[in-house]
Amino acid sequence: MALCSVLLSTTAAQADTGKLLLTGGVSAISGAAGGGLTPWAVIGTNATRGELGFSAFATSASTQDYGLNVVGAALAYNERFEVSVARQDFDAGVAIALNGIAPFGITPGQHLLMDVLGLKVKLAGDAVLDSDTFMPQIAIGLEHKTVSPGSLGSVLNFLGTKTSGTDVYLSATKLFLAQGLLVNGTLRYTNANQNGLLGFGSAAPGKDGYSLMPELSVAYLLNKNWAIGAEYRAKPNNLQALGRAAGLGEALSEDDWKDIFVAWAPNKNLSVTLAYVDLGRIVPGVTAGRSQTGYYLSAQMAF
Amino acid sequence: MFQKLLPSLSLALILTTTLTLSATSAMAQSNPLFTAFGEKAGIMQLVEDFHLRLLADARMAPHFKPVNAKNIKEQLTDQFCAVMGGPCVYKGADMKSAHSNLDIKKSDFNALVEVLQAAMDARGIPFSAQNQLLAKLAPMHRDVITVD
Repeated sequence: MALCSVLLSTTAAQADTGKLLLTGGVSAISGAAGGGLTPWAVIGTNATRGELGFSAFATSASTQDYGLNVVGAALAYNERFEVSVARQDFDAGVAIALNGIAPFGITPGQHLLMDVLGLKVKLAGDAVLDSDTFMPQIAIGLEHKTVSPGSLGSVLNFLGTKTSGTDVYLSATKLFLAQGLLVNGTLRYTNANQNGLLGFGSAAPGKDGYSLMPELSVAYLLNKNWAIGAEYRAKPNNLQALGRAAGLGEALSEDDWKDIFVAWAPNKNLSVTLAYVDLGRIVPGVTAGRSQTGYYLSAQMAF
Repeated sequence: MFQKLLPSLSLALILTTTLTLSATSAMAQSNPLFTAFGEKAGIMQLVEDFHLRLLADARMAPHFKPVNAKNIKEQLTDQFCAVMGGPCVYKGADMKSAHSNLDIKKSDFNALVEVLQAAMDARGIPFSAQNQLLAKLAPMHRDVITVD
């Protein structure tokens, strides 16, 4: 009798959250639900069909020459619609070296701020429960990005990049439940440079138009609370040709992004992700061609 | 004549018993999932605990209190055993008919899975074996969930 009361009060105290642990993904740096770098087809938060959910996250990443801090939130409805916002704060202080190439007037400690508005709609499938078929969950989405460059605006003008752009993507996600392995493939239609932090498009002979970029995530569930995985995100490298034509060699080259991560979800409301990121070259002209590698740490609360 | 029949019958009996025994153990040996759950006896104990947890769960109790305990436990045992490829036959109603007159949302389905996970955790069933069972049960969501 006493044991029954204890059990009842314990279950009554649990939050009435609809989803299974870790199946909503984490928050990508754009704010969308998915991996750390890529939006997945899963609809985020803890809301399942017929429910409204909310999540918020904070992310910090640091490499040899740069730092990125992101905060954001998402709202999800009926496991079909997801709206997200994110504010990316990129420490580009090292870019002050560009003043040596031309009088750009970059001030010390300049940060690039970028706002991302995301919309995602699930089209078909269930990433977790359709375990008797190869059919994935499929979603389309867009990420509208606006960058505020501050004193780096003169650089973006020189590069001929716009300060806003909209990525459109299609994602397919499946958890192979019996194997505990999640796979996501995303095709992103974008003209963003370094995710948008270096503007969108490029002056000729750089690439100004949109390209189709593939992205891939895999995650292996170690147990109910831990997952490990890896991600890969191809980049359009729009500015490389411009850099070469301007006699700057590979100064403006852009590389694909990769990471390996471990995610921990002690309960349905909290998840923490730690990753080792390899962002390749970011404006190698001012970083002596160094590859930007370092850590990424993110925490998400979901309801 | 009887003297010839008796040894033949005994031999037949021994052979049949041996064959049945090795068939059962062969089935268990070639079915690691069934073994991981402790075979039929283990599944019965799991279902016993699972049922108690369902009745104690605030979300699930309203769905399971009205149901005959003995019947549902028997059916769950047979169903779990059968989907694992064990030597059982599920004799209950199909998922669609069994749930069609009930109000079951996706959150209810997810809650049941959570309670089942808790019951499997309590019995120390390895994570991989848990997911293999869930992978067999998950597609039933199409017939079990009645509220869109």
